[in-house]
Amino acid sequence: MNRFATFLLAAAALIAPSHAYSSIDDALAFALEAAAPYVKEGFTVREDYWGGDLPVKTTKAIVHQLFKGNEYWFWMGTDEKVAKISVHIYDSEGNLAEVQAWQKPHFAAARVVPKKTGSYYLIVEIEKSPQERTTWALAYGFR
Amino acid sequence: MRKLLFASMAIAASTPAWAEPPQKIDVSNLPAAAKMIDEVVVPVPSEVFNVLDKLGKPRWEDVLRPTEKSVAVPSEAAHTALRLGTVIAEGFIAVEAENTEEVKKIGTSVQKLAKALNVEKQVVKHANAIIAGANQKDWPSVRQELDNTMRDVKEAMTNLDSEALSQLVSIGGWLRGTEALATVVSSGFTKDGAELLHQPVLLDYFERKLSAMPPKYKSLPLLTDVQRGVLEIRPLVGVEDGTQISPKSVQEVGTVAGRLTNAINLKSN
Repeated sequence: MNRFATFLLAAAALIAPSHAYSSIDDALAFALEAAAPYVKEGFTVREDYWGGDLPVKTTKAIVHQLFKGNEYWFWMGTDEKVAKISVHIYDSEGNLAEVQAWQKPHFAAARVVPKKTGSYYLIVEIEKSPQERTTWALAYGFR
Repeated sequence: MRKLLFASMAIAASTPAWAEPPQKIDVSNLPAAAKMIDEVVVPVPSEVFNVLDKLGKPRWEDVLRPTEKSVAVPSEAAHTALRLGTVIAEGFIAVEAENTEEVKKIGTSVQKLAKALNVEKQVVKHANAIIAGANQKDWPSVRQELDNTMRDVKEAMTNLDSEALSQLVSIGGWLRGTEALATVVSSGFTKDGAELLHQPVLLDYFERKLSAMPPKYKSLPLLTDVQRGVLEIRPLVGVEDGTQISPKSVQEVGTVAGRLTNAINLKSN
């Protein structure tokens, strides 16, 4: 084995743990951390959530049932600190439906007050990340 | 609407970081980069009841169905899963009605049904918390524990390779929740109340899951009835978002959901 190969193996060994420990649970912990202040404002946080991992510049779409009369926050989290992630909400006709959205390191969130009851699209994206694939989780709450 | 479920998004391909999102996306065009998540998160009954509470003052005591002191455990696992779903949904109704005794009975029933499905371990702490919360009349915490129960039961079943049973818990819960919703809306009809029944995403999802049930569950006549019921409800609750649902349709939805809930809870089954 030449020196370069040894170096690569050592580098891989150093890098591997960060991937191994990266999990949806960690990403969910960040999503729930983002949700915490809103619980004080009366939002009930659902125990169910979505999660996965995505390459940079790739989106996922989730169809979700929302009810007119409720107000919803969707909180997205990732354990990758320098990643930039986003979540946005569209109605069934493809119109941007959110009334507020924000992004911070580890977090992104969007708020919607549905104008009608029905199906909505939640679009999650890893905008930037040093990782090949970035783990994410999305939780939501209502009031 | 089915198209909606399988459709995905056309998002501006090169959105710069921190940029404003596009105001409009094409939901019918499926770009190669966008992928759809098939998994649907089923709303808990309180998500719907929360809106009803804002629309008026429903008489939840009238909607609440008294729970047997000792719930009967069906011989078939699929039936038990459906029954567990209806019992958890009844718990949400009992919380709305702020009925301590019913909530406590429901906590015990949940534990008994969970034991029959080999997921008792995951449920014990929640069942105890439900009973403790009911004693303290801490309704938000009971509501949260019911949601926790639903999630942990489903997660445990998935870990036991019983994902189909986990879906049946959701379907049972949805049927009882829908029956309760239809009852409340029928007793004081409003357009906004009726609109809450417009749940095409869930109906399509349940239909897919019921169609894909393993043969050992599908052979149960009750499951055939449930699948038929879901198909009966589908056209009644509108195809397009914003479709007005008539008082007659609300009643029909309530009748179908009630018929199935009764069948699920029949002692003889």
